[in-house]
Amino acid sequence: MSIRKDVLPIDGEVGRRPGGARRVAYPHLIYWFLFAQGGVVAALLVPVHVLIQGILGPLGIVPVVDRHYDTWVAMLGNPIVKLYLLVLIAVPFFHIAHRVRYLLTDFGVKSAKSLPAQIISYGGAVVITLITIWVLLTTVPIKLG
Amino acid sequence: MTTEAQAAAPREHPWRMPANWWTRNRRYFLYVVREFTVVPIAAWLLWMLLEIKRADGGPAHYYPPSSTAFVVFSVIVLLFSLYHSFTFLSLAGVIIHVKVLDRPVPSRLIVLSQFALWAVASVVVGFVLIWFAR
Repeated sequence: MSIRKDVLPIDGEVGRRPGGARRVAYPHLIYWFLFAQGGVVAALLVPVHVLIQGILGPLGIVPVVDRHYDTWVAMLGNPIVKLYLLVLIAVPFFHIAHRVRYLLTDFGVKSAKSLPAQIISYGGAVVITLITIWVLLTTVPIKLG
Repeated sequence: MTTEAQAAAPREHPWRMPANWWTRNRRYFLYVVREFTVVPIAAWLLWMLLEIKRADGGPAHYYPPSSTAFVVFSVIVLLFSLYHSFTFLSLAGVIIHVKVLDRPVPSRLIVLSQFALWAVASVVVGFVLIWFAR
């Protein structure tokens, strides 16, 4: 099976430099990785948190860690839980930023394609990541063992 | 510009997408719903971040959310997040191409593996959230 010369491969190379050297689009690579992982995290993990912490817990159907201060703090002090919560909360925002920007574009907001809009949306995801790190590091001290 | 030149100049009729384009077709509507799912998910994740931060105030100031409004909000978020999960994991069959023993894995099997992964992740997370509440 022959590979069409005019179709660019998706394995990193999206163009060539003026001299003909291959140009790897690292920003694209990093961003698309974050976008995809954000979608995966939101798809795999968010529904169960919403169901248990948002519905079953408040209705008193099942006991949930965040219903009592002691169990919630004990959970938040675990370093693995902190790392998990960072992934759960921050990574989806790289997916969210992209989808919201393109949804606005689809609704005719032309400025959503502009550089400032990109800085606001993707920069916003970075800011939320930093805020999440700050909250996780300052809320309950890390307890080992 | 003279009258002749005005008559000769091409008149521009820029095409504009009607604002209600997404309500005219079921597929367009579902596409917009799929893209919109991230907004309630974002709101719920920000609430969760606040929930973590509230643990900073000590036991006297900590109270878990119990209002009907919060439960209704969560039900709405759950519906959108389930739609995100269903559409996103279904796409895996189109995006992921894997070969085993030089034979391509059928896309149905890839989608099935994603849904199985979702089920396993949900059971593990659910177990931790409930078990450690004791």
